[in-house]
Amino acid sequence: MSVDERGVSAPAVRATARRILPPPVTGQELVLVGVIVVLWVLLGLFTPAFLSAGSIRPLLVSVAPIALIGVGMTFIIITAGIDVSVGGAIMLCAVVTAKSLVDFDLALPLAIALSIGLGLLLGLLNGVLIAYGRVHAIIITFGTANIFQFLALRVFGSSTVNGIPGTFDVFGRGEAGRTFGVPHSFLITIVIVAVAWWYLRHTSGGRNLFAIGGNAQAARLAGIAVQPRILAAYALTGALVGLAACFFIAAGTSTLDQAVGSGRELAVIAAVVIGGTSILGGRGSVIGTLLGAILVQTVTSGVTQLGWPSQLANLFVGVFIIIAVGTDLLRQRARKAS
Amino acid sequence: MIPARKALAAGAIALVAAMTIAGCTSRNDDSGGGGGSTSGSDEPIRVAFVPKLQGIPYFEAMNSGGQQAADDLGIEWLYQGPTTADAAAQADIVRSFIQQDVDALIVAPNDPDSMAPLLQEAADKGIQVATSDTDAPDSVRQVFVNQASVQGIGEALTDSLMTAMGGSGKYAIVSCGETAANLNAWIDVQKEYTASEYPDAEIVDIVYAGEDQAAATSMATDLMNANPDLTGLVGECTSSAPGVAQAVKDAGKTGSVFTVGLGTPMSMAPYLEDGSSSASILWDVQNLGYLTAWAGLQLAEGNEFEATNDVSADLPAVEYDADTQVLLLGPPLEITKDNVAEFDY
Repeated sequence: MSVDERGVSAPAVRATARRILPPPVTGQELVLVGVIVVLWVLLGLFTPAFLSAGSIRPLLVSVAPIALIGVGMTFIIITAGIDVSVGGAIMLCAVVTAKSLVDFDLALPLAIALSIGLGLLLGLLNGVLIAYGRVHAIIITFGTANIFQFLALRVFGSSTVNGIPGTFDVFGRGEAGRTFGVPHSFLITIVIVAVAWWYLRHTSGGRNLFAIGGNAQAARLAGIAVQPRILAAYALTGALVGLAACFFIAAGTSTLDQAVGSGRELAVIAAVVIGGTSILGGRGSVIGTLLGAILVQTVTSGVTQLGWPSQLANLFVGVFIIIAVGTDLLRQRARKAS
Repeated sequence: MIPARKALAAGAIALVAAMTIAGCTSRNDDSGGGGGSTSGSDEPIRVAFVPKLQGIPYFEAMNSGGQQAADDLGIEWLYQGPTTADAAAQADIVRSFIQQDVDALIVAPNDPDSMAPLLQEAADKGIQVATSDTDAPDSVRQVFVNQASVQGIGEALTDSLMTAMGGSGKYAIVSCGETAANLNAWIDVQKEYTASEYPDAEIVDIVYAGEDQAAATSMATDLMNANPDLTGLVGECTSSAPGVAQAVKDAGKTGSVFTVGLGTPMSMAPYLEDGSSSASILWDVQNLGYLTAWAGLQLAEGNEFEATNDVSADLPAVEYDADTQVLLLGPPLEITKDNVAEFDY
């Protein structure tokens, strides 16, 4: 983890922190849990096997990388930033890692370290440019997205990566990818979500991110080291992209093609926004993001399992995004009015 | 304040995008500037091919076939495509080749309708125009180099799957782009041919995963869950063919659910070998590139196509249909575990 952890040792600070703590679970998260439960029950009733292990397990494997990157993206969006380069970063991490697996037959820990290290580097690049360049995050990350894609395409070298060995099967959809029936990739995601939830809620470093997103100028005047915090959020996202790239390789075929990562930045941002994180910054939760990712994948799988036309999934996800952003904006307006 | 910042962001994005496109175009102009319109008799004939996108194995294999033909036939083979399957980016490249005044211009259009006026523009300048891989039927193209007949592909896919499934059972199709004309035409043939030739078999669902392997794999998994008695899956394009096989393998259903698809040999090899894929239907992509370059040369030299053409040792009898102006590469190729090692793309 690239985020540092500043203790809240002084009793006075702790008392203050306790007073401003939000409830552990927000209303939007409860609503999401409700929607997911209702959908799962309905899908269980109207499809032959939605609630079977053979269906839920692959669903969780698909959720894992999106939720994982979503954790970093939640940190970033809480600071009122955004990272649209994660699709390109996934592509670059995945192709470099996959190619190394094929060419050098890397061992599992080394391959993971390579992917996370590269992702961290890409995240640091974004972070430095955004925190110290003072250019809006969407401009910087739109630029780096194209650069990452260019580099990835160079590594692809006009070909797919073929014959990827099964090194990452431990993160895959198959038998090797689970313990007691639970996919490893999802277990890792849950652990990281839990740590991130605790960090955002119980450490001064985490609370500072909210302060920066609420009002960066005020945060600076209050003595928060705004730029290092922002840098750390992008670096964290980069490292998580690196780990998620391993999950993408594991869940893919033995061939990696150039479509890897394409459009995933939008899937991640959708999960974060549906999860109740305010796109204007200052408010958000990683549990919401995990639930958002589960909801999106439930809808996508559900539409196929019901035998409905595939494009309906886009319609439903679009409606969810608009409802989530709409309620957020209404809430902000109500707060300003009061 | 925030809307203003957003507007600025949008403006900057548009600017960056415009600069990117402008950058590409001017680079093309530079590279072709030397040739100009003064191609004398000593200069080789220049045949340009614009694929749907470059950098994917399929079109790179076509490119290597075209290069081979250029070496054999003594022509110059120009190959450039957009980095995504985008009609507008492709149009820019076509325009740049028109400006370079190539002798023959062959396109695999992303959007046949919007390509038609550009082909007209090229023809007006005296450039010979053709299509390959994907046709633009309502255009002035003089010939379409067709990789395989729609009927041939649809029937070969169905026959291969039915051989594996024992001629009966339920199967589903994982297609890619919902508006891809060639995929939809093959699917229509599969529906009709299955109904007429294999009355005990049934297509239960057709889903669209885009050009996305991961989506294809998820959808194939969902289809198996939705239809517990499913025994067959078809991956209709090069990204969904390995995707459906991977789904069957992950679900531990190799041998009870059979898959076929339109996959490139190297991406299908592991699945053909472990049995999660029974066969891949394709055509010899390098030969398609070779035929494309050869057809460009014939057009540039003003030669008429014969009913049967001797193109090369690999392509001794290529048929030409004068009514539809279509050159047909030949019957589709069935790739199985026995011959998959012969291909290097």
